[in-house]
Amino acid sequence: MAYLPLANILHYKLRSALSAFGIGIGICMLVTLSGLSRGTLGEIADRWEAVDADLIVFPRGWGENASDKSGSALPDRWADKIRSAHGDIVERITPIFTWQIRLGGQDQLAVGVDSDQWQHLTGGRQLREGRLFDPDKHFAQWIRTRLLTASPDSDANEVAEGLSQQDLSDPQHAGLELVIDSRLAAAGHYTLGQTVTTANHEWKIVGIVPAGAMARVFMPRQTAQYLFGNGDITKSTLMFVKLRGGADVGPAARDIGKTTGQDVVPLGRYRGMLMEKFGIMFVYVDAVNVIALVIAFLFIMITLYTMVLQRTREIAILKSAGASNFFLLRQVLAESLLLTGAGTAAGAAMSVGAAWLIQTLRPLLTVTLTPRMLVTAVVVAAAGAIVAALYPAWRAVRVDIAEALTLE
Amino acid sequence: MSDSENILMAAGLDKSYGNGPARVHVLRGLDLAVRRGEFLAVMGPSGCGKTTLLHVLGLLTSRDAGTLMLEGRPAPSDAAGRDRLRRRSIGMVFQRFNLISVLNAADNVVISLRVRGLAGQDGRRVESLFEEMGVAHVRKRKPAAMSIGEQQRVAVVRALAHRPALLLADEPTGNLDSDNAQRLLDVFRALNRDEGQTIVMITHSAEAAACADRIVRMKDGQLA
Repeated sequence: MAYLPLANILHYKLRSALSAFGIGIGICMLVTLSGLSRGTLGEIADRWEAVDADLIVFPRGWGENASDKSGSALPDRWADKIRSAHGDIVERITPIFTWQIRLGGQDQLAVGVDSDQWQHLTGGRQLREGRLFDPDKHFAQWIRTRLLTASPDSDANEVAEGLSQQDLSDPQHAGLELVIDSRLAAAGHYTLGQTVTTANHEWKIVGIVPAGAMARVFMPRQTAQYLFGNGDITKSTLMFVKLRGGADVGPAARDIGKTTGQDVVPLGRYRGMLMEKFGIMFVYVDAVNVIALVIAFLFIMITLYTMVLQRTREIAILKSAGASNFFLLRQVLAESLLLTGAGTAAGAAMSVGAAWLIQTLRPLLTVTLTPRMLVTAVVVAAAGAIVAALYPAWRAVRVDIAEALTLE
Repeated sequence: MSDSENILMAAGLDKSYGNGPARVHVLRGLDLAVRRGEFLAVMGPSGCGKTTLLHVLGLLTSRDAGTLMLEGRPAPSDAAGRDRLRRRSIGMVFQRFNLISVLNAADNVVISLRVRGLAGQDGRRVESLFEEMGVAHVRKRKPAAMSIGEQQRVAVVRALAHRPALLLADEPTGNLDSDNAQRLLDVFRALNRDEGQTIVMITHSAEAAACADRIVRMKDGQLA
């Protein structure tokens, strides 16, 4: 093995392994934390993009915060207004009511949706098990009759207080039914027909949809409106709009926005809104990554510096043979790059293991390891290796041959 | 003796270390000429400046004053030029052998050739040098697994692999037992006789010096 940098690495096995391991941890943190933060948000965005719609209508003023808003916001009558004003370009409107409920050990976005709109909301996904809630819309009709027509003179809250758990879960209309996605079912060990308690009510899981649908929890829209919207079943959180074929998204969004006075954005913008809203998280994650990498490369620098100090005689031997400064610099740099390369490979492997571990322990989290992240890690590692090698290389170049060869 | 016959000419070499009261004047106007194909032994007591002389002649350290001609040309004053000349024309053997511990014998020679931009060339010469030096059997051994005699002979292979015009040896037998010392001197003698290798050898040993064509003695930084 005439390749001195590799020979040195193989000769000092433990030190090399520790140095590579230090780099590996830094790379693993970089890839895994980025993969976790971006992967989890990306997975949410992917699910929203699976909705068969072109536009999202949400209240004016929510701005970039719309991605995490929930509760009562838009009067359902806007749907009729949009239909009547833009029937030529609007094929379908899907109002939904969103709220956070706790299931599977963490908060979940629960989406109230009309059963006849569920297919559009989930991008046409078929249930893996069970059935859809309120399949014949009996519950929807019942609750509308009960709340909107029973006492026209009374205020909605007054009427709302009259509905109990028993009313909602009565088998005649079965309003407290949930469809959950397969990841939540696996993570919470939920099974079809199981009763779960959340949001102060008991719910029955009646269906399981393959993961990838817009949310992990679905329920009848009127149930969500009633329970989480102060009993007002006339308002939703936002509306998805499906345009007819050939309609331009941009102009349609502007026209519908003018009609409703609300914000209308293309569905494709949701990902950007989500990333902007939670972008600060990336700053924290990246800051931690930078610190970890700096520590890792300081480790490499110390290793190389120690190597140079320990091997001044060998460096002097090379110089006595006429080794140029460039040759010496290349040796130190190559050793740094080899250590970093090994560390990067180890870090990439550790990242795969860490991603598996995270998703095993917390199945609802998504760690996305993309080739781009790995390329970024390699580039960062290579740059770090070069920077870490500079000072030790400079010291190697400065070795005094005569002094080093004379010292016993 | 004409200048063209001299592979090395030094005139008025001065070298000191340290500053102020701690300044040590090691070489004091030393003059030396070495003929091409000559085997020269430099003797002298400890501290007389022998090793410093060798370092100056081998361009490992700069001189404070004086002129130095190698192969008929002034020794370069810039570091890059000195590196080039060392790579091309000089081979060095040290008392402590100075093999690179993480490389085996063959790779110690190869790295030396790689430094000189000669890796992959003259493989047959390297093989024959290993044979001639009687160290072919240790080619794959690292220095720690060789005897001291073997290490020194591998160091000689390394010093000669690039066919240097000048071989500088600093107390090459200093760490060797008498058998190994004699074997090394036989090698030097044969190299000088058969291949016309120019050798400048620093030594304490009168026996070693006796192998040389000419012996010069140093005292207080000058030739006595």
